[in-house]
Amino acid sequence: MVIDDSRAMRMILKRIVAKLNFEAIEAGDGQEALDLLATMTEVPELALIDWNMPNMNGLEFVTKVRAEPRLREMTLVMVTTESEQSQIVRALAAGAHEYVIKPFTEGAMIEKLALLGLVPTGANS
Amino acid sequence: MSVETVVSEGDLAEMVEQVWVSYLDPEGVSPLLVTGDDGQATEVHSTVSITGSWHGHLVYACSLKAARRSAAAFLAMEEDEVSQEDISDVLGELANIVGGNVKAMLPAGCFLSLPTVVLAPDTASYYPAAERISGLYGLWDAEPVSISMWQSVKQQEATA
Repeated sequence: MVIDDSRAMRMILKRIVAKLNFEAIEAGDGQEALDLLATMTEVPELALIDWNMPNMNGLEFVTKVRAEPRLREMTLVMVTTESEQSQIVRALAAGAHEYVIKPFTEGAMIEKLALLGLVPTGANS
Repeated sequence: MSVETVVSEGDLAEMVEQVWVSYLDPEGVSPLLVTGDDGQATEVHSTVSITGSWHGHLVYACSLKAARRSAAAFLAMEEDEVSQEDISDVLGELANIVGGNVKAMLPAGCFLSLPTVVLAPDTASYYPAAERISGLYGLWDAEPVSISMWQSVKQQEATA
């Protein structure tokens, strides 16, 4: 699942995860993502989440997902321009597994996902 | 504290280089060539505002051709397929990315707005009560691109 209010950024992230054989579902903000998740019988394995979005920001989304037992297996990765140490700590404390700061290269993103065990060995070669 | 002491032209150049490597020129064949010409004409202006402990704007500006090329590179499509919506989305995201990284260099307690993109000549783009305090000006494949920082005049007066 790719959650970002920027359609351009969603397209970039979709391209990357497609290379890893993930089928991406898009949402423009945290609330839209939660609404989508409520309709899904199968929970996505991964969510790439922007921080600054209208309606519901990424941090609120992470907090709500972590409070929902049905969604506890989702791997949550913040993908954001928020690069202050304090923000990173807040996101990880709220339950994000990893933190990627924009701008990122495709290789850097795949490396992060590999650290989380989400990339087959050699996929970034 | 002046933002110029916190965010230098060199810092902006480093951020721009990261954006180019990540999205606009991953092959490294067409970097932004810094000219320092702050009078170059631009037609697309993407702005994020910063509030909190520092008040002002970060403006990513370029020609329409550079904006179209940016959108094509970012979205992996041909330039003639790029729509105005694509240009707005991509330029908004570019300002957001640079603005977010600038915010991290400002005093703690700053907040970043969502981006606003205007397709209008620079003569029509005006930031009331703010003054340009720094910027990076260059050419990308002969097309003008700039990133500038504007600070609230009121805040400048208060800290003078």
